[in-house]
Amino acid sequence: MQTALLVGLILAVLWFIEKMLGTPMVIRPIVVSTIIGAVLGDLQTGILVGASLELIFMGFIQVGGAVPPDVLVGAGLGTAFAILSGSGTEAALALALPIALLAQSLKVIVFIVRSWFMDFAMRLAREANIKGLITLNVAGLLLQCAMYFVVGFVAILFGSSAVESFVNNIPKTIMNGLEVAGGLLPAVGFALLLLPMMKKTNILYFLLGFALFAYMELPILGITLFGVVLAFIIVYEMKGKEMDVAVAEGSTNVDDEEDLFDV
Amino acid sequence: MSDEKKKLNKDEKKLMREIFWSSFMLEASYNYERQQALGFSIGMWPAIKRYYKNKNDQAEALERHMNIFNTTPHVVTTITGVATALEKEASQNPKFDKNIINNVKIGLMGPFAGIGDSLFWGTIRIIAVGIGLSLAQQGSILGPILFLLLFNVPHMVIRYYGGVVGYKFGTKIMDQANNSGIMQKISKGATIVGLMVIGAMTASMVKLESSLVFNVGGEKIPMQDYLNQIFPLLLPLLYTIFMYYLLKKGMKPTAILLITIVVGIGGSLLGII
Repeated sequence: MQTALLVGLILAVLWFIEKMLGTPMVIRPIVVSTIIGAVLGDLQTGILVGASLELIFMGFIQVGGAVPPDVLVGAGLGTAFAILSGSGTEAALALALPIALLAQSLKVIVFIVRSWFMDFAMRLAREANIKGLITLNVAGLLLQCAMYFVVGFVAILFGSSAVESFVNNIPKTIMNGLEVAGGLLPAVGFALLLLPMMKKTNILYFLLGFALFAYMELPILGITLFGVVLAFIIVYEMKGKEMDVAVAEGSTNVDDEEDLFDV
Repeated sequence: MSDEKKKLNKDEKKLMREIFWSSFMLEASYNYERQQALGFSIGMWPAIKRYYKNKNDQAEALERHMNIFNTTPHVVTTITGVATALEKEASQNPKFDKNIINNVKIGLMGPFAGIGDSLFWGTIRIIAVGIGLSLAQQGSILGPILFLLLFNVPHMVIRYYGGVVGYKFGTKIMDQANNSGIMQKISKGATIVGLMVIGAMTASMVKLESSLVFNVGGEKIPMQDYLNQIFPLLLPLLYTIFMYYLLKKGMKPTAILLITIVVGIGGSLLGII
């Protein structure tokens, strides 16, 4: 009972912080799982599960209007179940994803309900009632926090024993398979990140970063620094060429050679 | 140009701080109908209450900013800053066409979402994850702490100074930015760094190895050993590109997640990976 209250509260508070402080990333698994772990008395597992889940959920970010699977609920409940049932990281991985997908649809409902608030918001705006607008804004947030609290509370209260026996009954081969799948899942996240960024013309940068690690095993930070230097070189290069072209031909077209590196 | 070089006076600095503090609730009531509009109009209040003393004018301005709005939350202050400069002009110049304010906002929110998303979600967050994760994987509490710090220090700096820059450049920002190509440069540079980092992280984090063993003349040859000599990590690369291709073809992320789980379990049952 107490555990269920705590988990529900953590989910609600984290979401409140996330949206009151301008999206500071406190709902990412690396943070959520750590906090759940600390509160449930197993900080170490929390951190390790958080690291694994962060990889899998890396690409699930809210960009534009699309609603991604709910990482907060997925990571929070996945970690809580893994710790409460004493099963390791694999169990958290197996549970986090279906939970995140379920919670995604709850989020959609909140977004729809809050659309109905907008008529009221327009009325408040017409009265120049700024206090009312701020109250409404926070109320909309609290509605979602309450949703998270209920989800966390109910899931832990009724779910942990059910989830425990479910996890214990998963055959060994399936667990191995899930481990392999766990290694593969980050590919989906990275593909999602690449989707808006990568084009035929700039795939070389992706390959360069990949090859620097695959063949040389350079640290990510080192590769980032190479990237920054390369970006400077290319951006300045482009400036020189564009200006030349613009001066010479009065057009903004860039030559074919440059196309290969166009972003 | 002289206007932009001019230092902000005391009241303007106070305004910048107010814009900074009012900007955090942008997405509190995010919804499908108007997205971040409620949060944005609240973020405009420091400007509105300063420039319009009449309640009707205040109401008109608040309503104006209740139009649908969506951008990367971390960079919103730049747009608030620009809109603030426009509201100031509108409050002083009766001939000023107030429609311009919303047009400029619409013109800004797209590019800023593009730059903001690739800068914050695609670059700063990925770097923070990359560094935080390597520590967290060893079970160190420094992992999550470093992750939050590495993300939020640039976040706060950009949130504050973005407002200052937006306000200073005012109406001219997009003109100038387009003329000198600053936007394209930032966007291009951020994409290059982002792609390289994603490439490196794909290589370090996606795990796929073949456990196939060929029998050649009684000698057992594990396929992965050969792959390692030619192109280590070729399989993770191919799989990631394949996922990208499926997304590009319009497949839903949740569908390819399920495919990946099936591939993982199926492949391991068949003993090929």
